[in-house]
Amino acid sequence: MKTRIFTAIIALAGAVQAADLPAGDDAFFETKVQPVLLKRCYECHSHDKKIKGGLALDSRSGWEQGGDNGPAVRPGDLEKSLVIKAVRYADADFAMPPKAKLPADEIAILEQWVKQGAADPRVAAGGAKKRTIDIEEGRKFWAFQPVGNPTAPPVKDKAWPVDAVDTFVLAKLEQASLKPVVDADRFVWLRRVSLDLTGLPPKPEEIRAFVKDNAPDACEKVVDRLLGSRAFGERWARHWQDLTGYSDMMGTSNSVFAEHAWRYRDYLIHAFNSDKPFDEFVREQIAGDLMPAKSVEDRAENITATGFLMVGDVEIVNPDKGKMEADHIDSQISKLGTVFMGMTMGCVRCHDHKFDPIGVEDYYGIAGMLRSSPSTHKIPFGVWSRLNTTDLPETPEQLAARQMQEAENAENIVALKADQTRLTAEKNALAAEVARIEKLEKTAPTDTASGTAPVAPATVGEAKGPQSPKPADAQQDPGSDKEALTKKRDELTERLKKLAAEIQHAEFFRSKVPKAFAMRDGDKPQDMPVYIRGNPYALGAMIPRGTVRVASWTAFPQIPEAQSGRLQLAEWLADKRNPLTARVAVNRIWQKLFGEGLVRSVDYFGVRGELPSHPELLDHLASRFMQEGWSQKKLIRSLVLSRVYRMSTANDSLALKVDPDNRLLWRMNRQRLDAEIIRDAMLAVSEELKTDSAGPALAIENPDNTGSLVAKGVNPPSYAHKVPRPSQEFERTVYLPVMRGGFAGPDRVRSFFDFVDPAQIAGQRPQTVVPTQALFLLNNDLLRKRAGALANKIIEKESERNARLEDLWLRALGRPITSEEHGDATRFLEKIEPLLKGKPAAERLAWVELCHTLLASNQFIYRI
Amino acid sequence: MKPDFIQGLLATQRPVSRRQALSQAGFGIGGLALAGVLSDMGLTSAHAAAEGSPLASHASMQVGKAKRIIHLFMNGGPSQMDTFDPKPKLNEFHGKTLPAGKDLGKDKRLSGAALGSKFAFKKHGQSGIEISELFPNVARHADELCVIRSMFSDVPNHESALMMMNTGNLSLPRPSVGSWVLYGLGSENQSLPGFVVLCPGGLPVSQSANWRSAFLPGIYQGTHVDAKKSADPEQLIANLRNDFVLPDQQRKQLSYIQRLNEMHRQDRQGDSQLEARIQSMELAFRMQTEATDAFDVNREPESIRKLYGDSLQGRQMLMARRLVERGVRYVQVWHGAGQPWDSHNSIEESHRRLAGECDQPIAALLQDLKSRGMLEDTLVIWGGEFGRTPTAQMPLTPKVGRDHHSDGFSIWMAGGGVKAGHIHGATDEIGLGIAQGKVHVHDLHATILHLLGFDHEALTYRYAGRDFRLTDVFGKVVKDLLA
Repeated sequence: MKTRIFTAIIALAGAVQAADLPAGDDAFFETKVQPVLLKRCYECHSHDKKIKGGLALDSRSGWEQGGDNGPAVRPGDLEKSLVIKAVRYADADFAMPPKAKLPADEIAILEQWVKQGAADPRVAAGGAKKRTIDIEEGRKFWAFQPVGNPTAPPVKDKAWPVDAVDTFVLAKLEQASLKPVVDADRFVWLRRVSLDLTGLPPKPEEIRAFVKDNAPDACEKVVDRLLGSRAFGERWARHWQDLTGYSDMMGTSNSVFAEHAWRYRDYLIHAFNSDKPFDEFVREQIAGDLMPAKSVEDRAENITATGFLMVGDVEIVNPDKGKMEADHIDSQISKLGTVFMGMTMGCVRCHDHKFDPIGVEDYYGIAGMLRSSPSTHKIPFGVWSRLNTTDLPETPEQLAARQMQEAENAENIVALKADQTRLTAEKNALAAEVARIEKLEKTAPTDTASGTAPVAPATVGEAKGPQSPKPADAQQDPGSDKEALTKKRDELTERLKKLAAEIQHAEFFRSKVPKAFAMRDGDKPQDMPVYIRGNPYALGAMIPRGTVRVASWTAFPQIPEAQSGRLQLAEWLADKRNPLTARVAVNRIWQKLFGEGLVRSVDYFGVRGELPSHPELLDHLASRFMQEGWSQKKLIRSLVLSRVYRMSTANDSLALKVDPDNRLLWRMNRQRLDAEIIRDAMLAVSEELKTDSAGPALAIENPDNTGSLVAKGVNPPSYAHKVPRPSQEFERTVYLPVMRGGFAGPDRVRSFFDFVDPAQIAGQRPQTVVPTQALFLLNNDLLRKRAGALANKIIEKESERNARLEDLWLRALGRPITSEEHGDATRFLEKIEPLLKGKPAAERLAWVELCHTLLASNQFIYRI
Repeated sequence: MKPDFIQGLLATQRPVSRRQALSQAGFGIGGLALAGVLSDMGLTSAHAAAEGSPLASHASMQVGKAKRIIHLFMNGGPSQMDTFDPKPKLNEFHGKTLPAGKDLGKDKRLSGAALGSKFAFKKHGQSGIEISELFPNVARHADELCVIRSMFSDVPNHESALMMMNTGNLSLPRPSVGSWVLYGLGSENQSLPGFVVLCPGGLPVSQSANWRSAFLPGIYQGTHVDAKKSADPEQLIANLRNDFVLPDQQRKQLSYIQRLNEMHRQDRQGDSQLEARIQSMELAFRMQTEATDAFDVNREPESIRKLYGDSLQGRQMLMARRLVERGVRYVQVWHGAGQPWDSHNSIEESHRRLAGECDQPIAALLQDLKSRGMLEDTLVIWGGEFGRTPTAQMPLTPKVGRDHHSDGFSIWMAGGGVKAGHIHGATDEIGLGIAQGKVHVHDLHATILHLLGFDHEALTYRYAGRDFRLTDVFGKVVKDLLA
C-alpha cells in the first residue's frame, strides 16, 4: 500500500509522454482526452448518468455552457478553466473527482488539451441542455402572481357572516356540504380573545362586565380595550421575535452577552402597540439606519429596528473570518427570505434552488448588499468577533439622565477605590501583625519543641476563645490574638477580592451611552462574486446587487454610489406590488388567531409548500391589509370580530370525517398556551404579575452574573443568569432574558413547553406533549408558588366555600363553575383535607391543592 | 345581525351543553374513560398507555437486526493512531517533517513533525484485531468489534463535526440520529423517555443541539440526564420529585386533574393532542416511580456493580444498560461535558487517563449485554466526532498533543447485526488520509438505519414542503459492515 503523497511524485513522469502527442486535433481528444472524461467524469457529469451541479461533459456544448458555476472550459486558458482548477486539487472545496485526485499523467492530458484549444468533435446528445431556472415560467406559480382583490362569493346562509372573511369561509363549507358549528359562549370568546391578543386571561371584573353588556358593540369595546393595552404589544412582539432568532446572548459559544438586544425587543413592543404600519415596519428593520427621521427618538428607533438582521444565532468565534462573514450573510438572507417572502434561500448559496425559481444570481444579489453592510468586527480576544453596535442619538433629557448615571457610576468607582485603599492598608497592617506574632511563636520554646502552633493557651485556659479576643492582652496571649487577627485578615482579603471585582465591573460598564446592535453601510459598498458551492475562497462571476427576480415587477432600481442597496431592498419588499410580503404577513396573523395558516406552511410559500386552503380569502386579506394602510391592528380587529373567530371548538362528527384537519374551518382550533403565556397567565390569575417592565433583560449590573471582565484574553466576557433580579420572578416572560442553551430560574417554563430555540426561525411553534411537561405541571415549584398565591387571594376575598369556588373558577378558567364541578371540587376538598391533618393551616393547604389542580389542567393550559 | 350575535351568546347556556356532551359520551363519575386514570397503578400498564401515543412502539420497514442503540460518544475526538489504528510507519517517521505535513487537511491546520504513538498495539482475539494498550479490557471483546478505520467527516472543528455526527448536517438545525430512530421505531417503554442522553457534569459543545428533534415532533428529542449530579435519580431528572405533597395526595390531585381534562376533551372530540396530554400526565406520574427505578444503579446486585466499577463512567454505562433493558430505544452516553478527548497537548497523559476512565466500564457493558443475550440486538457504537492528526500540534508545547483531523478516523461498533471481529477500511501508512474503504458519516448513518431495518432514503419526514431524511441526499449502506 503506497500513500498518495509518495505516488504523486512518481506519477509526474507520465506527463512527459503525453506532451509528445499532437494535442490540437480531434484525434488527440478521442484517444487521450475522451477516455479520461469517460472513466473519471461521466459517472456524475453525463446525460446517461447524472448531471451534478448542472455540468455535463459528454458534449462540447456541455462544457461550453458549463454548470452552476459557468463554463467549465475556456479553450486556451488554463487558469480560467474550472475543469483544470478542479482536477488540480488546488482548492479542497473545489476538487474533482471528489474521491481522489487524478494521476498526474491524466491531469497533464487535460491541461494540454485545454491549452491547445480544447478540440472536441462531439455534438450534443439529444436535447442536451443546461438546467436553468425559468423565471417567466416560475411567475405562473400562485405565490408570485400579483395580489388580487376577489369579491366575496355568494352564500346560501346569508345570516351567518358578519364580515367578508366569513363569506369566503362559509362558501367553501357550503361547497363541501358542511356547516359551521355553534358559536362559542361569551366566556369562551372573552378568554380566547384576551389570550390571543394580550397573552393574559380576562380578569373576573372584565368577565362580569362583558357578559352583562347588552350593547351591540360589546365585543368591539372589548377588542378595542385589548388592542389598546400595553399587553398587546408584549404578546405580538414575542411572535415576531420567534422569526428573528432573538436572544440576549450573542452566539452559542461561551455565553457572550448581547447586552443591547433588549432595545430591539422594546422596539418591537412599541411598534405593535403604536400600530406601526407594516410596510414601514419592514423598511425600518432592513434599512432603518438609511431612512430619514423626524426626530431624535425616531432616528434611534430606526437604527434599533435593524437589530432584526443582527440578533440571530451568530457564529462569532470562527478563526476563518471569510467563512464567518459568508455564514452570517447566509443566515441573514435565510431570515429575510423566510420571514418576509416565505421562501427558503439558504440552499441557493451553493446552487440554484432545486424547486423554486430562485437562482444563484438572486442570492448573491442580496448577499452583495449585506456584504456591503458588515455586521461584525474582530475583537482583541483570541479569534473572537462581535456584533457591531451603533450609538443611539439622545434627546437632551436622555443625555442629561445618562450623564448623571455616568457621574454616579464614576463617584461610585472613586468611593470603591477609596475603600480599596483603606482596606488594603488595614489588611497589610493586620498581615504584618500576624507575621510579627508568627515570628514570636517561632522563637518561643514550646513551638520548637512540639513543632505545632499554639504557645500560650495551655496556661491561659478559659480566657481563650475566638469570640473573646482581648487586644489589650495581645502581648500575653499571642495565640488567641493571632487567630482573631488571621480571621479578620482573611475576611478583608475576601472583601477586597469582591471589591476588585466590583471596581472592574463598574469600570467595564462605565459608559452608559445607549447603543443598539445595528446595521450600517460599510466603507466600500460593492457587488460581490458568487461563492462557488458557498465557499468564500472559490470565486465565480460577479453578480450585480438585486433581489429575487421571480417576485419582481420591474428591474431592480439603480443603487446609488456608496450605498449598500439595503434601502432599495427594503422598499422592494414593502412595495404593494410585491406578491409575497402582504400575503405572508396576513397569513402569519391568521395563524396566530386560528391555529393554522391559510397556507399551513407559514414560513414557506414555495412550490413544495402547501397551497392556500382559501386562496381568495388570502388575497382578500392581503389587499385589504394594504388598502387599510398596512395596519396590523385593523386586520387583527376585523379577524377577531368575525363570525369565524366566534365559532366554538365543538365537534361535528360529519365534518370531522370529511375534514379531520379542519382545513375548511368548520370549527375553531383549540390551542395550547405558549410557554410564556402559561407562566404569565398563572401570574395574572394569582394577581402577582408586574405590569410595568421594560429595559435590559440581563441582570448584568450584578457582578455575580458576569464572568471575567478583563479587557483582553482568550475569551470575551460572558454572562450566566445566576442571580436574577428579584422583580424578574413576577415580570412577563417576554422581558426575561432569552438564553441560548437552556433556561434557569423563574423562566424555566420555556425549557419545557416548546419555546423556539433561538437558533431557529419559526413562524409557528410546535405543540408537543411530553412527560417532562406533565412532570413540570405536577411538581415544579412555579406551580406551587402561583397556586399558593392564588389560594391566598381566594381565601382573603371570600370566607365561604361556595363563593370561593365561584371566584376561583372565574379567575382561573374564565367561566362560572358548573354544578357538577361544584360537587367534584367539594368532594376533592373534603377528601384532601384529612390527608393534610396535622399540618398547620390544613384548610388553606387544601385550597392550594385545588388551585394547583386547576392550573395544571388542560382547561387552564389550553385556549378553546 | 350584530344584536343577534350578542343575544345568541347570552342564550348559549354552557352548563347545559356540557352536561349533554358528557352524557352523550356515557361519562359519569368513575365512567369508562376515567377507569384507567383512577385504577390502581398495577392495572395501568405501560403498554396500554402506549396506544395512540407518538411514542408507541412500531415496526420498522423490514425487520432489523438491531432493536436499540447505545452510542458511546467520545467527544473531543480520540486519536485513532493511539487506539484502534496502529501506524508503525508513522513511528518510523517520528520527529521528521512529513512531505505534506505543513498544511494539513481542509482547514489548513498548521502541523509539526510526525508524532509516533506512545502506546503499544497488540493483536487480540481470534480475529487478531490490533488494539492499543489504552483499551486492554475492551480488547478482550475484540472478536465482537467491527472496527472502521476509514471514517471521514467534512470539517475538523468540534461544532460542525458534532452536528455532522449527530444530525448529518454541519450547521442547519436538523433532527438528531436518536430522534430519527425514535420517530421510526417508537419506544418500548411508555414510562420513560424513549431517547435518553447521559452526559456527566454539564453539556458537550453545541449542547442540546446534539440531541434535538428540530422539525420532528418534540417528543422525539433526547432527554438529558447528568449522571454526575448525584447517584440519586430524583436529582437527575427535572421535576421528578414533588416536595410538597404525599403520593396519595398527589394521586388524588392527578385524578382530579384528569377528570377536568377528560371533561375538557369530551367537549372536543377528535382531538388527539388532548388525549395525548392525558396520557402524558399518567406517564409522568408513572415516571416518578419508574425513572427512580431505571436510573438507580444501586438496585443492581453487587457483582454487577463491581463489574462496571464504582466510577462515574461505570455508573453511566450501567445506567445505559438498565435503560435499554427497560425498552428505551436510544441511549447516548457522552464521556463528559465540554470536549474531554480534545488532547491538543499532553496527549499521552490525557488519553491514558480518559481511556482509563471508560475502558473497564465499556468492557463491562459489552460483557453484560452479551450475557443477557442483548448484544445481538443492541447496537453499540463507540467513537468521537473526528480523529486526530498523525503530527504534533503546532505551536509545540512542552508535552505534545495532536490537532483535529477528520480524514481517516476510527470508530467501532458491536452487536446489532454488524460483522463481528472485523476491520473495515484503512488509512495510509502514516494515517494522514484514507487508503481504502472510505466511510463518510452519512454512510455510517445509512448503515445504522439499515441495521434497524430502515431504508435511509425512505425514512422521511415532511417539513416546510420537503421530505427530509437523516442522510439528506447522501449516504450509502456499507455492506461490508453487515454480519
